[in-house]
Amino acid sequence: GGRITTGQSPVASPTSPLDLNYADPKEYEIAGLTVTGNKYLDPNSLLSLTGLKVGDKVRIPGESINGAIKRLMGQGLLEDVEILATKVEGNQITLNVSIKEQPRLYKVTFVGIKKSEQDALKDKVKLNLGRLISNTLIKNTQLSVKKYFIEKGYLNTKVKILSVPTDSTRNQATMRVSIDKGSKVKINNIEIRGRQLVEESKIRMKMKGTKQMRFGRLFTPSKFVPKKFEEDKQKIVEFYNKEGYRDAAVTFDSVYAHDDKTVNIVLNIDEGQKYYIRNITWEGNYLYTDELLTQVLGLKKGDVYSKEDIEKRKNGIPGSDLSSAYMDKGYLYFNAEDVIKSVEGDSLDLEFRIFEGKQATINRIILNGNTKTSDHVVLREIRTLPGQKFSKTDIIRTQRELSTLGYFDPEKIGINPVPQPDGTVDIEYTVEEKPSDQIELSGGWGGYVGFVGTLGLVFNNFSARNITNMKAWRPLPAGDGQKLALRFQANGRQFQTYSLTFTEPWLGGRKPNSFSVSLSRTIYRISDPSSYYSNPSSYGKNFLGSYGNTMISLGLGRRLHFPDDYFQLSNSLTYQRYELNNYDIFGIGLRNGTSNSITFNTTLARNSIDNPQFPRSGSSISLLATFTPPYSAFTNKTTDANVDIKDRYKWVEYHKWMFDASWFATVTGKLVLNARAHMGFLGRYNSRTDFSPFERFVLGGSGLAGTGQFALAQDIIGLRGYNDRDVYTGINGISPTPQEKSRGGLAFSKYVMELRYPVSLNPSATIFVLTFLEAGNNWGNFKNYNPFDLKRSAGVGARIFMPAFGLIGIDYGYGFDRMPGSQTRVGPGGQFHFTIGQQIR
Amino acid sequence: CSPFQKLQKTGTDDQKYQAAVTYFKKGEFYRAGLLFEELIPILKGSTESEMAQFYRAHCEYQQQNYQLSSFHFKQFYETFARSDYAHEAMYFYALSLYKDSPNYNLDQSNTLTAMAALQDFINAHPQSPFRQECTQYIAVLRDKLELKAYDKAKQYYKTSAANIANYRSSVVSITNFLREYPDSKYNEELAYLRVDAQYHLAKNSFADKWKERHQEVVNYYLALVDKFPKSPDIKKAERMYEDSRKELETIANQEKEKLNQQQKPAKVTATTASN
Repeated sequence: GGRITTGQSPVASPTSPLDLNYADPKEYEIAGLTVTGNKYLDPNSLLSLTGLKVGDKVRIPGESINGAIKRLMGQGLLEDVEILATKVEGNQITLNVSIKEQPRLYKVTFVGIKKSEQDALKDKVKLNLGRLISNTLIKNTQLSVKKYFIEKGYLNTKVKILSVPTDSTRNQATMRVSIDKGSKVKINNIEIRGRQLVEESKIRMKMKGTKQMRFGRLFTPSKFVPKKFEEDKQKIVEFYNKEGYRDAAVTFDSVYAHDDKTVNIVLNIDEGQKYYIRNITWEGNYLYTDELLTQVLGLKKGDVYSKEDIEKRKNGIPGSDLSSAYMDKGYLYFNAEDVIKSVEGDSLDLEFRIFEGKQATINRIILNGNTKTSDHVVLREIRTLPGQKFSKTDIIRTQRELSTLGYFDPEKIGINPVPQPDGTVDIEYTVEEKPSDQIELSGGWGGYVGFVGTLGLVFNNFSARNITNMKAWRPLPAGDGQKLALRFQANGRQFQTYSLTFTEPWLGGRKPNSFSVSLSRTIYRISDPSSYYSNPSSYGKNFLGSYGNTMISLGLGRRLHFPDDYFQLSNSLTYQRYELNNYDIFGIGLRNGTSNSITFNTTLARNSIDNPQFPRSGSSISLLATFTPPYSAFTNKTTDANVDIKDRYKWVEYHKWMFDASWFATVTGKLVLNARAHMGFLGRYNSRTDFSPFERFVLGGSGLAGTGQFALAQDIIGLRGYNDRDVYTGINGISPTPQEKSRGGLAFSKYVMELRYPVSLNPSATIFVLTFLEAGNNWGNFKNYNPFDLKRSAGVGARIFMPAFGLIGIDYGYGFDRMPGSQTRVGPGGQFHFTIGQQIR
Repeated sequence: CSPFQKLQKTGTDDQKYQAAVTYFKKGEFYRAGLLFEELIPILKGSTESEMAQFYRAHCEYQQQNYQLSSFHFKQFYETFARSDYAHEAMYFYALSLYKDSPNYNLDQSNTLTAMAALQDFINAHPQSPFRQECTQYIAVLRDKLELKAYDKAKQYYKTSAANIANYRSSVVSITNFLREYPDSKYNEELAYLRVDAQYHLAKNSFADKWKERHQEVVNYYLALVDKFPKSPDIKKAERMYEDSRKELETIANQEKEKLNQQQKPAKVTATTASN
């Protein structure tokens, strides 16, 4: 550290009897300024760093000398600084800055460990290059390296550090850290004594970081880490307390070497006795009666006493706990303290002491951290409103709404009610923006085929009004909560699809009425397979026929307040034009011509899912109905078999119904159950017309409308464990022809049970693994429709969500049922499926 | 391999420093910045160190990396408090923050920091030639905060069609605005919107709230007419005021009748008693 020495210095003392008095600092003028002790550093720049100059007036002792030392030390160049008064004459003072230089860190090398460990260590020890190599630094580095390996289970780690001079002109040195980490110390045996009243396996399970050696222990390998062991002892006590043993304690523990590489652990537990609740009394409650509060709390005489459980009932279940009863009515200052009034045998008398406080009205809503998203986009989702009574339930609902937006890191949404002196409360929301745009890019040059690939862009927080504002392009105009999705997919000239969707969630900014426009164009051409051999250079350029589809759709949606405010109703109007050119895509003799379809779609949906990336609770249900006008009621062109097929399908006619339900619930800990049901029906208005060949269902496989199986006027639904588009039950169970199968079914059902476990909830990469059971079928006619005749499968999979790429998944599914007429597989079998994007069905 | 890359790889520190200064003077701030960045840790404690750090901060500023330039300028004037350039560095620190202040409808923490830095500069250098400029910048930033507050206050009014409770929220937030910005140019419009919001709130209330809420309409109208008698919306506000006053009169009459009815039977008993 730096020091100021005046007067007492042996150099200075004979000439200057400097009177150093902190109570009465004196002012001097600097007559001279020198530097001593410098070997490598430039004395002038050192002096300029001090902020002192010859001619300056300084007070001694005083701020300017202290500041000079601070600034010099702050450079990190020096081990020590002293400022000495070498001469004092009257008010003239000569100062000498005496410094001690130290080599600076040029490089760190680690010896004796792997490259990956070196990288991890570099992050951990934070040795900034250019730092001074002091003894403290060496000691601290040694300690933190050792600690790092002990936490990994290497209890016998030895660390040596050498400072080797590298560059004598600049006084730099390399720090060589040699590490001998020895072998990992595992746990041979854990002995638990004194346990009688609870199962031993449960105690062992609670010890998450301290596991006994066992063959096949893959996910939590056995290792002894002292810090983890201390935590685990605490966890055992917590577990006992939760079960009602409020006196439980770990009274003794011992760790001793078993052999070179393993230790044995002995734990002694004093379980104490289990306590039950006898009487519950209330104190300080004026708003609600004792009976009502006891009912809200949900505890009764004879229940096991568990501090953790009581805490949860007081303050853990939003909307139905004790604090919600008060805090939803504005009682922001509410507090309930539970006290054990008396103990008799195994019975406890509980008393809740309640402080109700004053009712608080919300005054201001403060929003911080929205560096990209505009205020109004966030404010319109906030349910706590100025002028309303403070409500905890509204706050929790706001948290859900903000995380559902997808612009902010859900784990980092901060909510802070700030009580004001006038009895009101300001609510401060702090958000942290996260990337919300997605890009999908894949591609290549496929020789004669040309460009093969996909370019997809999804901007979830777009700002259309800033398109003309060049300053807002960073890299795109953003922040108004609009969604713009662009997609281009091609397989050379053979297949191309372009689409654009724009959604404004608050049309006009006054009401949450969403407006969307989408446009798309698809073209699929078939080539003559024989030309591949006869004329390879023109293959993929000359085509026999084509199918084209152009679509425009306008949609309006609004939130409903009834039956509850999670409901949404949306309507859309779609026009589609199908062009067939020498290509009988449905296999019904419709080879040339143009078909048009105008549909009105209406969707009633309810969505209360808590978190879009990894839902843990809530459900979503939607019912979608699609209608075309009933042309057959006005003209017999569509029904008369004598009319040319081209004219019969000039106007497509059908009605279609889709039902989707998905439900999430936490099973235990982090494990989440997802149950889903999906159904769809395609009907006709008139028995004299044929069922529409357009917009039918195909079932099976990954459900991905991707390469090799293009979405051609069909609804593609996955069923893992089976081949793509393979699940189909024909008329009366007769094996369907390939044409029938590819045309698709009129009704489908699908049921899924999925167990999900999150591996990482980091918003930059949310990863979860899953196991599923699913069953479904697709029927070619209504006569054979039987919702219990299902093709079943089971399997496992994993999903990763990255903000830039969306959801990517892989599943292995095993199908149990035989598919009548399947060309590719007759018996049961398993297969892998890849998925991109969130699958609805 | 370009001469620049060659210099980066094989040049001596001195060559690099000279080249960096040349690049800087030629206006090639990206290259100059790269070289200074590399040199600064090496030059620590040398004569060139001071200028290198000053140039580096300017390079970032010229490349519009205002967050970085503000950081480096601040570091400079704190480290070299006695430097001839300290005054300029402090000015550019504040200026960088000013330029980095975001759009009004985003988080304004940086705007507040910028305002504080500009004010600190004015206080520390009252004789500075930049003083006038800084005062002007503070005014610009203050306007921005005012616009934000105005926009937020109006937001509730705008979305009140979606949720009637927003009428009350807009009254509360407009009242806050009027108190916080008593001289704002938006006050005329907001004072009218407050009458309008309160009137709609009263109209959409249950009967037991009518009296209190219509009374507030009257109060807010009077506040409007006192301060902005020439408001373009005064006619519309007047109609609401009249209606609210009528409602209040009706309520008062009803209350009187109720009172009379309560008193009447008492009179009847009194007369029978006297008979």
